Amino acid sequence: MRVALAQIAPRLGDVARNLDLHLEYIDKARRKKADLIVFPELSLTGYTLKDLAGEVALDPATDARFRKILARAKGLSVVLGFMEESPAEKGLFYNAAAFVSDGKLLHVHRKVYLPTNGLFEEAKFFAQGREFRVFPAPFGRAGLMICRDFLHYGAGYVLFAGGADVIIVISAAPGRGVGGGEAFGTSRMWELMGEAMSYFSTAFVIYVNRVGVEDGVSFAGGSFIYGPGGRLLARAADIDPELLVHSIDLRAVREARVHWLFKRDEKPEVVLRSLERVVRVPED
Amino acid sequence: MSLKINPSFVEKVLTRFIRDELSKHGFRKGVLGLSGGLDSAVCAALAARALGPRNVLGLVMPYGSSSSADVRDAGKVGRWLGIRTRTIDIAPQVDPYFDAHPTASRVLRGNKMARERMSILYDYSAREKALILGTSNKTELLIGYGTIHGDMACAVNPMGDLYKTQVRQLARHFGVPPSILRKAPTAGLWAGQTDEQEIGLSYAELDEILERLVERRMTVRDLVESGFRRKTVERVTAMIRNSEFKRKLPPIAKLSPRSVGHDFLYPYDWGK
Repeated sequence: MRVALAQIAPRLGDVARNLDLHLEYIDKARRKKADLIVFPELSLTGYTLKDLAGEVALDPATDARFRKILARAKGLSVVLGFMEESPAEKGLFYNAAAFVSDGKLLHVHRKVYLPTNGLFEEAKFFAQGREFRVFPAPFGRAGLMICRDFLHYGAGYVLFAGGADVIIVISAAPGRGVGGGEAFGTSRMWELMGEAMSYFSTAFVIYVNRVGVEDGVSFAGGSFIYGPGGRLLARAADIDPELLVHSIDLRAVREARVHWLFKRDEKPEVVLRSLERVVRVPED
Repeated sequence: MSLKINPSFVEKVLTRFIRDELSKHGFRKGVLGLSGGLDSAVCAALAARALGPRNVLGLVMPYGSSSSADVRDAGKVGRWLGIRTRTIDIAPQVDPYFDAHPTASRVLRGNKMARERMSILYDYSAREKALILGTSNKTELLIGYGTIHGDMACAVNPMGDLYKTQVRQLARHFGVPPSILRKAPTAGLWAGQTDEQEIGLSYAELDEILERLVERRMTVRDLVESGFRRKTVERVTAMIRNSEFKRKLPPIAKLSPRSVGHDFLYPYDWGK
């Protein structure tokens, strides 16, 4: 399978322009024979939305702009980020990721962990998602996370326990820390989680971060693919835009699971019982 | 955490920031005040690399004596980078005012001069369709060592998250002319002034204190326990606290359900 990492810089609050950028990248990815193209978090809207959240939110089931993406996703799968508002929950704006394949919307994940501290203001403007779920994708079982979700290992655990072969993370992670090498200090944090998660879940981890600058904040890029067993397969540039296409062999999941029996020996029911106790009597 | 930076990566981030921020807002050119000092030399170097030297205009704005060492150093920066420069004597804008409103205060005179320079920069910004690049560094911003609506005024500030000692590292990386690297930092408010004399601390010590207070969120007590003088640290925290007004837009008295500055919240780069 060929995976395209679309490390783009969306324009803040300009859905029409970002839609064109998506269509352009989908076409490019198709020309490069990609089976899957992954865009970053809030790729259709930009990240630092504040009060724009409600103005750029859309319902993927009915929105004409979203239908254009569905129509263009023929013969390949697309993961993109958008601001979701459904008719069932008017006035609630979710930071969402959509998995679209062959003209159909297969899955929507709403970001669960909304960073709201320091330079982050997500919970001030966005509604909180409440679920992580593995779903059947054309190439196997897949799970979605958005940026900060990835750094809470319970989220990755649910996708692992749910049998994900491919874990896809879309991100708008600002770079911080310039005391080290030729990348932001914070980039290491994402790679560390990618390496660990791909190792212990024996799944592929695809992480796509955006680039560009919003209100003085530079997004770090550095998108990557880790293969099962913690193998770094591809890494995109730091802070520069890039369309990185890389072939992965999904048989690696089976190979890794024959060798490392983390999945076979996993006991989610024990974890669940233990968690129930933690939630019921936290001070126990 | 320390004050050490990787200058080549910082250069990459800041040149991208300048290019991105200007082009998003429809500009190709930048303008900045060239004082002959370190900060404006580094800012000019960043701008020249980001936009190309011919797209950068450095305004040299001495009060009177246009043959001073600072003016010569500003010219040196211009030639070193190949950017365009223009010298404008601000005395004719300053003298008539103080002839009519005399003062013995060097600070009042210095602030007025900083604001005259600002008004020239904004005029040239419009004439040249060039955005103003700010040169205030993090040390100055934190202690409020700048004239509000004067040298602090700008359209974008690529320098504002670099402490003075970090600007110095960047200056060495760029190969800023030695006479500029060597000389004592000065706000140029009056002849013979130096920042370190006026603040009463060396930038090296000030940055060590600020880095602990700001980046590491240490308390005054933590700093005293690790060997800093209490009086010095308390003076620094007071400077930070008393200059917050320079880092904010003025408060707007709230009356309506949705007010500018309170809950009418849009990004700066709205639609860009």
